[in-house]
Amino acid sequence: MKPEELQKLPPEVYKELEEVVGPENISEEPALLDGYAWQPTFNSSPDLWVPRCAAAVLPGSTEEVQAVVRICNKHNILYKAHSTGWGTFNAVKAGGIVLDMRRMNRIVEIDEKNMYAVVEPYVSGISLQAELLSRGLNCHMIGAGCGASLLASATSGVGDGWDGISMSYSPRNVLGVEWVLPDGELLQMGSLGSHGTWFSGDGPGPSLRGAMRGWCGAFGGLGVFTRVAVKIFNWPANGDHRSEGLMFDYLPPLPENLKVFMVVFRDRGSFAEGMYKIGEAEIGYIQCRNALGMILGGALPRFQRKLPGVPAMVEMLKSMQFCLTHIIAANSPRELAYQEKALRAIALDSEAFVLDMGQLPLGGLLFWGLVKDSLPPLIFRIGGQFSSVFGHDETWDSSILLNRVGQEIKQKWIDRDGMIDDLADNAWMFLQEDGMWTHCEELILYDPREEKHVRSVNNAIAEAMISAVEHCQGPGFMLLNPMVRRMLSPMMSHYNFWTKKLKKEFDPLGLSDDVAYCSEEDVEEADIDLENMTFDIPPEELARIFEERISVIPAPREMAQ
Amino acid sequence: MALTDYVRDMRGCSRCSSCKWVPFNQVKSWRNAMNCPAITRFNFHAYSGSGKMNMGLSHLQGRSELTEGAADIIYHCQLCGACEVSCKVYRDDIDLTDVLLELRATCVEEGQLMVEHMAMLDFLKRDDNPLGEPKSTRGDWTEGLGLKDINREPADVMFHAGCRFSYDPDLREIVRGTARLLQSSGAVVGVAGGEESCCGGRVYELGYRGEAANYAEDMLSRVKASGATTLVTGCSDCYAHFKYAYPRIGKELPVEVLHVTEYLDRAITEGRLRLRDSVPMKVTYHDPCHLGRMSEPFICDWEGDKLLRPMSLKRTGKGGIYDPPRRVLSSIPGVRLEEMERIREYSWCCGAGGGVLECDPEFAAWTAGERLQEAISTGAEAMVTACPWCERLFKDAAGESGLDLPVYDITQIVLRSTGTR
Repeated sequence: MKPEELQKLPPEVYKELEEVVGPENISEEPALLDGYAWQPTFNSSPDLWVPRCAAAVLPGSTEEVQAVVRICNKHNILYKAHSTGWGTFNAVKAGGIVLDMRRMNRIVEIDEKNMYAVVEPYVSGISLQAELLSRGLNCHMIGAGCGASLLASATSGVGDGWDGISMSYSPRNVLGVEWVLPDGELLQMGSLGSHGTWFSGDGPGPSLRGAMRGWCGAFGGLGVFTRVAVKIFNWPANGDHRSEGLMFDYLPPLPENLKVFMVVFRDRGSFAEGMYKIGEAEIGYIQCRNALGMILGGALPRFQRKLPGVPAMVEMLKSMQFCLTHIIAANSPRELAYQEKALRAIALDSEAFVLDMGQLPLGGLLFWGLVKDSLPPLIFRIGGQFSSVFGHDETWDSSILLNRVGQEIKQKWIDRDGMIDDLADNAWMFLQEDGMWTHCEELILYDPREEKHVRSVNNAIAEAMISAVEHCQGPGFMLLNPMVRRMLSPMMSHYNFWTKKLKKEFDPLGLSDDVAYCSEEDVEEADIDLENMTFDIPPEELARIFEERISVIPAPREMAQ
Repeated sequence: MALTDYVRDMRGCSRCSSCKWVPFNQVKSWRNAMNCPAITRFNFHAYSGSGKMNMGLSHLQGRSELTEGAADIIYHCQLCGACEVSCKVYRDDIDLTDVLLELRATCVEEGQLMVEHMAMLDFLKRDDNPLGEPKSTRGDWTEGLGLKDINREPADVMFHAGCRFSYDPDLREIVRGTARLLQSSGAVVGVAGGEESCCGGRVYELGYRGEAANYAEDMLSRVKASGATTLVTGCSDCYAHFKYAYPRIGKELPVEVLHVTEYLDRAITEGRLRLRDSVPMKVTYHDPCHLGRMSEPFICDWEGDKLLRPMSLKRTGKGGIYDPPRRVLSSIPGVRLEEMERIREYSWCCGAGGGVLECDPEFAAWTAGERLQEAISTGAEAMVTACPWCERLFKDAAGESGLDLPVYDITQIVLRSTGTR
């Protein structure tokens, strides 16, 4: 029997797993398993379920993870591990088992002197940061929000965040990894593999960061990561500032050595130039372009819904759409004054105006929301769900281009009432490493309970894919989809054939579920003519192919059979 | 309402897992970052607020049966409301606690009942209390206090002791002290004594809607007959059900309903109660879920798209009772309040609610133990709270685990300061 045909674990396999993790840490109760099958984010299927796994296990240690993986290898069972488990890429194909890493939630070590922290899979950004701020330290927080796993973004998937200007992105901060390979063997990567310390991800000891994840990550397709050491950074303030309130009523003061500004540029061109200068000046701690539609929707969703009926207001907001929130941080008042002066000079030169948000009532909320990364889930407030297209890490010029293209694509679908009107202006973009490279993705807001929205979003994704190719841009996160990989592979040196070869070296039996990485579906002979394929396919047609063929996950009706 | 009325809520779950955490802006340490006892203890996603909504939808769509195992997960939840508070930081269109309540009602409709709860129901049917104590002794705690019999004599204030305070011998002095405080404030206080019965909150939470309505009706008729203008209770559980469940099922009480902390706060502010003696003690205060986030009053149901619902109808936990007990404590000479990390609307539950104390006392004690550890870490000499169910469980959990932290009802501290004997 092929692993994916297995719907329920054979009793002897269940028993073996149970002996490893204990009876309270394994289940095959269907209702419980559907807790793992509900995955509305990045799901193109209108009913939002993904395949139900055959069982879920909760390993509590690296040794237990190894034992579980070895049992899977012994019995030819697919598996996939996840940490916080948000997004379709956490799903294992039908018949596989899910390793929910929730029990492995310890902060193993915080080395203040050498500025790194060692964490297990379920340690979230917010829980590590809460321990760090009081020590004058901070950690990189990712766009998925502060409740997401630090380890997952470092070892397995994406990892961009608005502090990228000073703290880079997750995989660049990896200083050591403990990795249960797909066959159950334990690999200690970087200096950890040489003399048991976590100070360098590239050695002495095996340096496999590229193989481990490349740019976007293997999303669970290369075994299980059980510990990671991540670089930590300076927090030039005295701990945290507390106040009552949860979100819009949470208004603590700003610390002394940090300030938050809003910089409004007159147009896309001056925004592009101004950002280059900010990067060159090396004066950023956290920054992000403001998507005004998104901000309005997150804070005032009812108002945002009525906004299209007030064209003058729309025009006014659009005139301010090239707007940046920028936090500066310094170790002394003099340095802070220098940074502010530099920022204001750049703004003046770019014909932009600067608002000191710290002087305004909502400045504290904005500042701490960015520092703590507590704002991202507000995206769900607007319609319930979002999707993302492009999602690349490239030069600033490329990001600016995608910002324009994304806006054009979205406007078309908004005009057809196919998604929520966010002024078509929701590119999440910022500099990384002082502008040496940048991130841009176009966020689409929609209500997954509205079928017309789901269809439109699929169309918009298809159109974005075509657009990315037309503009010589990478497809970004869309590569999580096997069909996209298959279609774009010939234009990208058949890169996925090479990742598949790598995968086979690590995982000869192919049991670490790789659907979001390099699955058979994208490397097998295509039944569409790739040689003669052109990219003038009508988006509706491509969307139809998406729905029928590319859906990462089969529809639940298939699954239930 | 029924589970089917919440399909849109369940389908709206983005699976972001915010429901598992203290609202992010209030996370103060790794140790105290979690808000939900069930997911923290049992770990499978199904134990979280999100996971239970997934289960509900799965059941309605015919993907899974409501098995004994599924019901066991549904009832391993204190219904403390912490998940909803965290969810609603980001969502306007999901009423998570209502979904959890409807899931339980569905369990009852489909016969998936917990054996331990059946025993409690038998007690209720027999003696109008969930503890198995005889109805005839319910009013014994009032002996010698000179309280009015509300069934026969007029009174300004009707005091409802609740089941736990009426019967628990270890808590008897607390409820007697509370009555004396009310009297000291100048109120003419009446009680139903032996005629008092359970508020029905527990059965409401377990999903027994018919029984809950009967108890509410019984309470309503007693209140109407009393002629009192104010109903005061020291039990947070009862208070929450008077404020939320009763109006929701069409049994709103026609009097002002106050928790004793609200009453004392007013009495102190108005000078009707003098706090004279110093009580030199560093304390921490535990917000009972049912006095805090779960006591937000019911206003009305909303028909249609909840994304368009006025914010005043969105339950966020903010409208619970948090400041009156803190003001009372700060009024007591000598008392110093050290706050825990999880307080107010994002307080960690004591563990007793939702039928957990009855069906899995070990889980209840574990939950209480987590809270006691948090309290001890503040350096406080004692924990103060305002609910007999919390007090009972904390005392037991502290005793069983050898944690040395005295637990007081807030009225005990007030009583010491007033010098009332």
